[in-house]
Amino acid sequence: MSALPAQSAPSPIRRRAWIPEILRPAPDRAARPKPRLAYAIIAVGGVLAIALAQLMLSIAVTQGAYEIDGYELSQAKLSRQQQTLAEDLDRVQSPQYLAQNAEALGMVPNTNPVFLRLSDGAVLGQPAAASGGAGASGALVPNVLISGVPLVTEQQAGETAPVGGQGAGLGDPVADPPVAPAPPAAGDSLPTPTTH
Amino acid sequence: MNRISRHPMRRILAAGIVLVLLVGLFVARLIDIQVVRASALNEQAEEVRSTAPITVFGARGDIVDRNGTVLADSVMRYDVALSPKNAQKSKIMREEPDPADPSKTKQVEVPLEQTAAELGAIVGLTGDQVLGIIASELADDPDSDFAYVAKLVDVDTYEKLSALDIPWVVSYPHPSRRYPNGAVAGNLLGFVGTDGDALAGLELGQDACLAGEDGEVTFIPSLQDWVEIPGTEVVHKEAKNGGTLQLTIDSDLQWEVQRIAEAQRLAVGAQWATVTVMEAKTGKLLAVADVPTVDPNNPSGTDDADRGSRTFTAPFEPGSTFKAITAASLEDVGIANPLSQVVAPYSYDAPNGANFRDSFYHDDTPYTLTGALIDSSNTATAKFGEQMSDQARFEYMQKFGFGRVSEVGFPGEESGDLHGGPEEWDNQTKYTTMFGQGLTTTAVQIASAYQAIANDGVRMPVQLVEGCTDAAGETTSPEVKGTRVISEQASRETSEMLENVYTQGWLADQWNIPGYRVAAKTGTAQVADGNGGYLTGYLVSVSGYAPADDPEFVVSVSIMDPVKMNSSAASAPVFQQVMSQVLKKYRTIPSGAPAPDLPATW
Repeated sequence: MSALPAQSAPSPIRRRAWIPEILRPAPDRAARPKPRLAYAIIAVGGVLAIALAQLMLSIAVTQGAYEIDGYELSQAKLSRQQQTLAEDLDRVQSPQYLAQNAEALGMVPNTNPVFLRLSDGAVLGQPAAASGGAGASGALVPNVLISGVPLVTEQQAGETAPVGGQGAGLGDPVADPPVAPAPPAAGDSLPTPTTH
Repeated sequence: MNRISRHPMRRILAAGIVLVLLVGLFVARLIDIQVVRASALNEQAEEVRSTAPITVFGARGDIVDRNGTVLADSVMRYDVALSPKNAQKSKIMREEPDPADPSKTKQVEVPLEQTAAELGAIVGLTGDQVLGIIASELADDPDSDFAYVAKLVDVDTYEKLSALDIPWVVSYPHPSRRYPNGAVAGNLLGFVGTDGDALAGLELGQDACLAGEDGEVTFIPSLQDWVEIPGTEVVHKEAKNGGTLQLTIDSDLQWEVQRIAEAQRLAVGAQWATVTVMEAKTGKLLAVADVPTVDPNNPSGTDDADRGSRTFTAPFEPGSTFKAITAASLEDVGIANPLSQVVAPYSYDAPNGANFRDSFYHDDTPYTLTGALIDSSNTATAKFGEQMSDQARFEYMQKFGFGRVSEVGFPGEESGDLHGGPEEWDNQTKYTTMFGQGLTTTAVQIASAYQAIANDGVRMPVQLVEGCTDAAGETTSPEVKGTRVISEQASRETSEMLENVYTQGWLADQWNIPGYRVAAKTGTAQVADGNGGYLTGYLVSVSGYAPADDPEFVVSVSIMDPVKMNSSAASAPVFQQVMSQVLKKYRTIPSGAPAPDLPATW
């Protein structure tokens, strides 16, 4: 029996005849259809569920995108605000601004170093009164950022700044209501009386 | 039908070949699209669907002082532009209360003049100026769609502009630089140009640390409201923030020193002045004042020559402050001690033919080495100095840090010139180099040499930068390793001599800081005119340190050509004020014992 005629006329009936007798059809062939339907339902249901979940996820993500966008906008706005405030703060804490304010209030620098040693109350160095000092240091170390920022004395309308500057106000006590000076906070190294 | 079935093999073969060809075609096409032309096609698709590349700004790093006070930081500014074409054409409608019925609003057309006036008021122009910009642009090009109205406006202005909501006005972010403390350390910080390029100072020198890198992203937006479709963002280039540069400078002290220096510069009518404050034990610079000083917020407000740091970039002949270096070298080799003796004439004819004089007349005087420094006698210093070989003296100068740029490596820093070396010195120069003429040094080199004397003879590298902390938080600091220049004993003896200069010198009253032992030396140097001669003015200086019994701070003052007071008396008050401030600020305990008294003559 050659293979050629068999190929030229493929007849399923004839083919069957060649199957050796020992091979039998699988016995559970009839039982298969039922499980197959269940599988199909599961598979289709699964696909549907996945598709639905996908859809819901996608909707949620899209919704989130708008939320993120909103937050990003407000973040940008807040960071702009933060920058404005930081710039204002930097302006008023620059040494030029502090010095100008101090001078406007009638303060003069005293570079003479003198120390009070707390442990025994000893005065180290030789005290000397501040001698004039710089009247207007603003122009000496310029800062264009603080131009136009009002000094503390200019902000308080009605109150007069001490005139004269240059330590003129040092001798005369400023017309403040007499307030008893608060006792200095006691530190560890302050001299303390020995009590028993 | 029959024919085909008679040749089944052929039919299969044909079908197979067609199939193979077809699949092959598809595979080829697939490879072509997915691999060969993939990037080009992707690009094309991106172009259509996604946004134009959006710049993500990488911030330039901050510069902070030793305490963390910000000296330079990055801020966002905005450039405002308008479209002249659309400004002319478009009508702006605005809802306004209806005068007929206050409860309702009606659409009112806003005339261009009013819009221009409103816009101008915000950016600081008049309405006519804004209209002028529009008109002149349109005169050049009737279709003009772009003209700047204002550049680098701040956030407040930007917010107001946004609120105005003019359709033909647009603002572009423009990162910029700000120096909150103005001219404080402006000489050191330098500045950046409007395009963000570092132009001078540490901004330029430390650009590798500070510079950020802008990134670029695109995303696919939704059609109507330009919201990013999730997951479509493509980062083409990651933005990188610059590092934070920490200086050894103390900004408060820097301010005070600049103030003192500028006040004195104006008082004595000097061209310029520099003051250097250095920690004696570490070589760290606490303050470097150069007046006049540039305000980096507004560099063009300062003369071009005054925008840098002369402390590093302007070498000068140091004059008598250099005698301390010669004396220290002599002590170290053991040729002289504070009580060594010479007889010094007013005018000295040296054996090699050189001739020079003292700045004041005196008869032949029996000077000790201490006395040579106290009276700042050139001839006495020379009679001591000639006992040492030129080569040895030159090597000491080099060990003290002269003749080469300091470890700071400031942009444009000069090395100074030791006049070549001993073999190039002529007979006169061999002597003048003993008392600081015929060679040039920078102010920072002088401060560093005094630091070596103050620090038991160990010279520390000059340090201006504490470290650079990159965006990831890693800090790199310059290497610090001291080198011994002179022995401890030589340093102590030199120190005692300089203390006697302070207590017995002619300026003793003017630079007295009660309670502290101070070592200092003045200098009044002639200034080379660049053509082999000298100018009429002088460079007056004081260098010294305190407390002399345990040196903490070196202060070096140089004032160029103080026309109203042409002597070191001009620099002494600056030294006194700066040193007092430094000692006070750092709570330095006053000295206990008084300075030793050494005889000036024998």
